[in-house]
Amino acid sequence: MPKVMVIDDEPFILMMIEDKLKRAGIDVVALRESVGAVERIRQERPDLIILDWMMPEISGIEICKTLKSDPELSDIPVFMLTAKGQEDDEKLGLKCGVDRYITKPFSPRGLLEVVLENLRGREA
Amino acid sequence: MKISEVERLKEDLQATVKELSDSYEELSLLYRLSEEFSGLTVDEICKTLIREIKSLIQVKTSVILFLDDNHKVLRTKEFLGQWAGGTEIKKGDNIFWHVLEKGKPLAICDFQGSKWRLSYIKNSAVIVAPLRGKRQDIGVVFIADKEDGQEFYSGDVKLLNTIAFLASLFIENALLTEEIQSFLIGTIRSFVKALEATSMWTAGHTERVTSYALEIARRLELDAPFMEKLRICSLLHDIGKITVPRDILNKVDGLDAQEREEIMRHPIVAAEILSELKGFVDIIEGIKYHHEHYDGTGLHGLRGEEIPLLSRIIAVADAFDAMTSNRPYRQKKALLEAMDEIKAQSGKQFDPEVVRAFLCWMEKSAPVAR
Repeated sequence: MPKVMVIDDEPFILMMIEDKLKRAGIDVVALRESVGAVERIRQERPDLIILDWMMPEISGIEICKTLKSDPELSDIPVFMLTAKGQEDDEKLGLKCGVDRYITKPFSPRGLLEVVLENLRGREA
Repeated sequence: MKISEVERLKEDLQATVKELSDSYEELSLLYRLSEEFSGLTVDEICKTLIREIKSLIQVKTSVILFLDDNHKVLRTKEFLGQWAGGTEIKKGDNIFWHVLEKGKPLAICDFQGSKWRLSYIKNSAVIVAPLRGKRQDIGVVFIADKEDGQEFYSGDVKLLNTIAFLASLFIENALLTEEIQSFLIGTIRSFVKALEATSMWTAGHTERVTSYALEIARRLELDAPFMEKLRICSLLHDIGKITVPRDILNKVDGLDAQEREEIMRHPIVAAEILSELKGFVDIIEGIKYHHEHYDGTGLHGLRGEEIPLLSRIIAVADAFDAMTSNRPYRQKKALLEAMDEIKAQSGKQFDPEVVRAFLCWMEKSAPVAR
C-alpha cells in the first residue's frame, strides 16, 4: 500500500485530505505540526509528502529544503499547498525542489487524482 | 464513555469530514469558475459554462436558453449534444418557463412519462435550472441524460444550480458592460451624425473610415480591445471639425492658406474637446496624431513609431476615403489610382506595415470596387 504523509496545521484540511486519500486505499500519516516532521519522515519513508506552506515554527518551504538537501530523502516527491497570490514566492519555492503546487482552495478530488497519478508514475 | 458511543462519534466525524470535503470541492470549483468567467463577454461565458457543465456532470446534452427582450420567448443561446440550434420556446405552461418563473431548479427522472414531456425532447432524465441575475431574469440551463446512463442524483441538481447561479452574476455583469459599450458607441455615432449633417459632402465619411480602419487592423491581427479603441477613435477622428466654420468646410473652390490652417487644426481641437473623457487617453492621442506623416513631415513632426498605431491606421483609411469618395475639392479617383497613391506614400506619409495590410485587404476583397 502506498504511503503518503500530510503535514498541515489546519485540522479540517488535514482531516479532509486524510479522509480522501484513505478512501482511495492509500496509507496516510497525518501530522498537525511541523516540528519534528523531518525526523518522522526519516522513520516513515513515505512515497509522497503533502506539505502546507504556511505553518507556525517551521514553514513547509524549510522542511522541503531540508528534505531536498538530504540524499536519502531527496527523491520523495513534495506537493506544496499554497494560498492564492503566492506566485512570486513560488519562484523561490521552485528552487527548493517542490514537485507540484496545489493552490488553496483546491479540489479534493483533483488532489487525489494528481497524487494517484504521481504514485502510479513511479510504480512503472 | 461506552464503546458504542465512541463508534457513533467516529461515524459522525467521518460524515462531517465527508460533507466538509464536498463543500470544499464546491468552494474550489466556484473559485476556479470565477477566475475563468471574469473579463469574458456574454458569448464567451456561455461557451465556457456549457463546456464546464458537460465535463463536470458528464451529460450528453447541455443547452443555455436566453430570454428575448420582450420576455416572451426563450431562445437557444448555446448548446452541446442533441439539440436543434434554432429551438425557441414560447411563454407557456412548460418546464422551462416554470423553472424560470419559480426561480428553482427542477429534475425529472422520467421525462417522457411526466406531465412536462415535449415532442421535441427525446431524453429521459433532465434537469432545468434558472439563470437569474440580481436585477433581471436571464434564461435557463437545460441538461439531459448522463453519459454513463445513470440517473441524476441530488448532488447534480445542487451542482448545476450553483454553477448557474455564479454564471448568472457574470452574465449579468457582462450584459451591463455590453449595454454601456453600445450606449457609448451609439452616443458617439449620434454626435458624429450631427457633425456630418452640417456638411453634405462629409456624410458617411466617418463610418467608411471606421470600417476601412477596422479592416486594416484585422489584417494586422490586432486584438479585440485594440479594435474597440480603433472603432471609437475612427468614429471621433474628425470631431474637431465641429469648430471649423461651415462655409469653409463646404467650400467648393480651393482654400486659402488661413482656411487650410483652420481645417488642419482639427486634430488638436478634437484633443481639446475630448480631454474631458479621462479614460480616453489612448483614443485622444490617436485622434490628435492622425495627420502625422511617417517620415516626420506631418502636423506635429512625430515620426515612425512615435506616432500611435491608432493614428497610423486611421491616416491610411482617411486618405483612402478622401481619394475615393466624392468631395467638392477633389474629383473621385479611380480605385486603382488611390491604391497606387497610397503605395507611393508608403514610408513617406504612411507606415509601410499599415500600407501592406491595407493592400492585402484591397487585393483580397476589394470591397469598394464598383
